[in-house]
Amino acid sequence: MGASLPPKEANLFKLIVKSYETKQYKKGLKAADAILKKFPDHGETLSMKGLTLNCMDRKSEAYELVRQGLKNDLKSHVCWHVYGLLYRSDREYREAIKCYRNALRIDPDNIEILRDLSLLQAQMRDLSGFVETRQQLLTLKPNHRMNWIGFSVAHHLNSNSFKAVEILEAYEGTLDEDHPPENERCEHGEMLLYKISLLEECGFLERALEELHKKESKIVDKLVYKEQEVSLLVKLGHLDEGEALYRALLSMNPDNYRYYEGLQKCVGLYLEDGQYSPDQIDRLDSLYKTLVQQYKWSSAVKRIPLDFLQGGQFREAADSYIRPLLTKGVPSLFSDLSSLYNHPGKADILEQLILELEHSIRMSGHYPGRTDKEPPSTLMWTLFLLAQHYDRRGQYEIALSKIDEAIEHTPTVIDLYSVKSRILKHAGDLVAAAAFADEARCMDLADRYVNSECVKRMLQADQVALAEKTAVLFTKDGDQHNNLHDMQCMWYELASGESYFRQGDLGRALKKFLAVEKHYADITEDQFDFHSYCLRKMTLRTYVEMLKFQDQLHSHAYFHKAAAGAIRCYIKLHDSPPKSTAEEDDNMSKLLPSQKKKMRQKQRKAEARAKKEAEEKNEESSASGVSKSGKRHVKPVDPDPNGEKLLQVEDPLSEATKYLKLLQKNSPDSLETHLLSFELYTRKQKILLALQAVKQLLRLDAEHPDSHRCLIKFFHKVGSMNAPVTDSEKLIWSVLEAERPTISQLHEKSLFEANNSFLEKHKDSLMHRAAFAEILHILDSNRKSEAVKFVEDSTNNIVPRNGALGPIREWNLTDCIAVHKLLETVLADQDAGLRWKVRCAEYFPYSTYFEGCHSSASPNSAFSQLRKNSENESLNHSVDGQNVGSITSNGKLEAFKDLTI
Amino acid sequence: MVCIRKATVKDLLAMQACNLFCLPENYQMKYYLYHILSWPQLLYVAEDYNGRIVGYVLAKMEEETTDCHGHITSLAVLRTHRKLGLATKLMTAAQNAMEQVFGAEYVSLHVRKSNRAAFNLYTETLGYKIHDVEAKYYADGEDAYDMRKQLKGKQHHHHHHHHHHRHEHGGGCCSGEPKGNVAKAT
Repeated sequence: MGASLPPKEANLFKLIVKSYETKQYKKGLKAADAILKKFPDHGETLSMKGLTLNCMDRKSEAYELVRQGLKNDLKSHVCWHVYGLLYRSDREYREAIKCYRNALRIDPDNIEILRDLSLLQAQMRDLSGFVETRQQLLTLKPNHRMNWIGFSVAHHLNSNSFKAVEILEAYEGTLDEDHPPENERCEHGEMLLYKISLLEECGFLERALEELHKKESKIVDKLVYKEQEVSLLVKLGHLDEGEALYRALLSMNPDNYRYYEGLQKCVGLYLEDGQYSPDQIDRLDSLYKTLVQQYKWSSAVKRIPLDFLQGGQFREAADSYIRPLLTKGVPSLFSDLSSLYNHPGKADILEQLILELEHSIRMSGHYPGRTDKEPPSTLMWTLFLLAQHYDRRGQYEIALSKIDEAIEHTPTVIDLYSVKSRILKHAGDLVAAAAFADEARCMDLADRYVNSECVKRMLQADQVALAEKTAVLFTKDGDQHNNLHDMQCMWYELASGESYFRQGDLGRALKKFLAVEKHYADITEDQFDFHSYCLRKMTLRTYVEMLKFQDQLHSHAYFHKAAAGAIRCYIKLHDSPPKSTAEEDDNMSKLLPSQKKKMRQKQRKAEARAKKEAEEKNEESSASGVSKSGKRHVKPVDPDPNGEKLLQVEDPLSEATKYLKLLQKNSPDSLETHLLSFELYTRKQKILLALQAVKQLLRLDAEHPDSHRCLIKFFHKVGSMNAPVTDSEKLIWSVLEAERPTISQLHEKSLFEANNSFLEKHKDSLMHRAAFAEILHILDSNRKSEAVKFVEDSTNNIVPRNGALGPIREWNLTDCIAVHKLLETVLADQDAGLRWKVRCAEYFPYSTYFEGCHSSASPNSAFSQLRKNSENESLNHSVDGQNVGSITSNGKLEAFKDLTI
Repeated sequence: MVCIRKATVKDLLAMQACNLFCLPENYQMKYYLYHILSWPQLLYVAEDYNGRIVGYVLAKMEEETTDCHGHITSLAVLRTHRKLGLATKLMTAAQNAMEQVFGAEYVSLHVRKSNRAAFNLYTETLGYKIHDVEAKYYADGEDAYDMRKQLKGKQHHHHHHHHHHRHEHGGGCCSGEPKGNVAKAT
């Protein structure tokens, strides 16, 4: 052990520790200084002072002191422990583990260090180490409940559920018969449920069910008890008992779809694909007719039959379902029905049905076959539903006429403007969509939902500054901004990042995407505090579920979007370095070597100065960070608010590779992952990795136009490489020669032939034709005009269907925009691009991209309507005696300023 | 229509997104984790037919009082899915669990004075009563009604002996360093 202190100083040392634990850091610091005055080299005191300073944001001093303390007392487990705590606070977990292990080498039975080590092992998923450490803790302190539980969970996580069960049984053996006491009933019940889930996981279903029944009186959560019981019964094939229990669960919650699914399984009437035979449909229909009698107030029993019924039965059931909801005015009715549009024939039936309702209400004021008068709002909600129906079917003109009629009918209903906004977005007029979303927002300034929706539309329309001003209306926090980043508002950061990217502002785009990535890093860190908390609370099933969630966290859609966005930024940075950097490099290259050195030194000094200034600003804001409420708001000053520093990255492709690896690991089934991989590795000249990307694309969807593009591009590029010279080049070459025959698309074909073969299979698809043309041009640039003509000769056929109003054509707006960009960039034919634009303006009259006759880019646009509505609203406001608030005025004026009329 | 079911950990990101879209009172993911890892029985979601989370209730047992009661931390339903009774169903499910699992005597919540729709839901549909007014409860300075609803009655005497930090809106929870045993210096 280290040098011991006299009693007075030893007491002061205890005070340092206590002050650290109770977060009274100034007091701890004072005590440390008192000791060091007499014993300036005392290692453990130096270490504790450092740890205390670390909590006061004086990190560099902290490390210096802790290292000095350790140096002065290498055989102190306290010094090693403190060093580990310091690393842990910086999320340097592996280094922290090393320190703890060194501490334990000195003091092998130190409970506190073992506990800290086990937390890090759990965090790092060092599961075998975790088992060892938890075993040691249990051996040292078998009277602690938490140590039994910890040891059991460790084995479970280390894939040994059976051992985990044995440990829990041994633990139960230590308990009194009348355990648990009243204040531990919840915890004990949760432990029992965990044990039963472990038995199930081991495949001991009978034993699990037996244990569940035996412990019924001790399991407090009766809902989970029933759910667990029914799950086991079904797995054991006790379907009659399962049926009875599902009915009991339904009586508790008749709006849980999973109970209906379970019931259907028990009576042999559930198919994953929903393809039921006529006999099965009849039996299902009977089942739900009896259920609807039992659960009159449940919507589920009325909605589920729409999934399995067909034809006339479907129409009848849908009619019964829809009528009361139109009368009541339920905004989510279309959303509720929307999954039916993927069933063959049902969309047509719904269209006929709703049109019939519309006609009847319009003509007679009541539903077909009824005499009760409908309230006036029923027509409005019917029009609202029809508008969404036609929007879904891509008939935007009709959709807009329906929603406009609804607005004319009742201009005060906010949801109408929201839906109009969505229709306009789908039709391609993002600017008008934003304007109508703002209209909706201004009708209820207290509703954050319409504010958020408006902000989203503004970002889609690339009105970033306006979006930020609008979003900020809901993020005030006293005299501080409770800003969107602090609250992890990822949808906003992603949408604004994407907008900046579209506008070519890579710095700001990158900043937003990386902000989202940081949220995921923070969420990963969040789990740390729960490793001991959950053992105490005994919420073990949820804890294990949380760990699995954390292990798959980076598979989440938002992370994927952020990582993909960041990669695209870095690739663009690589392809077109920022102008200033390019010019700077050009100037640098003209300098003599010695002058270059001086220039670089100057740059480094300038950067250091900027960093220091930022830190000083940070300290200043810290010093004055106490708000009125007395709480200290320490918000570090952002040294790079516009992402300019992010643009100075030395090797963008290396940065991109970091995020690509995360996508490859967490989103391997996304086509986009491997498209980005291909783009990145071809630029890095990583031939074999690019080949891997191509193979992944073929695995996922060999017929996708992008898979085809990458395949042919790859082998075209390889075919134009010089003959291999070095050993590694020869090795690559031999791998390629071995791999090519395994790719069926290229089997005994030239690249031209492969391209033609691809086209044969997809000659009627616009996007496949575009891919063919692009590849034709790449393989032989002399055939550009042929490629262009091929694209232009594509036909936008009418889709066969039984719709009542007007035709639908095959092409969609997104695809047509992509083709236009292909013509203008890759094929570099401005005239063809212009012809395509004119042609698509006819197909998409609301598209601002194609400057359609109804778009914001045209005088005869939705904005005339918006202006009319504004005038009407002014009249309404004066009639009501209301004043239009300054926010409203500002919002509208700002919206108009950004309009491109 | 919409499925009402207990929340899982996988739902938390969608619940957070729903909260951020709908309400000015927001929380970091760690706070959501704290709720579900402490009282997994009390969180419910409304999931639409396409698997989207369109509403949620975030609730907890209040542990810093002598009486055993639950508290509604946050409730939201997307505007596009209102008028379906989802808020009522979510609240009822959470209240039932508070009573059945934890023996809660009553449940409390805060609501903005200006939020008439929420106020009507709580008073007229769910039977809450105004217990108190908390001045400047919200970050923007608005007052809150502290509302309560008596539950049927406790089935167990359930008094917690654990002490936990108080958690404010948007604050982190259970944060800070693990306590190192550095008192063994000799």
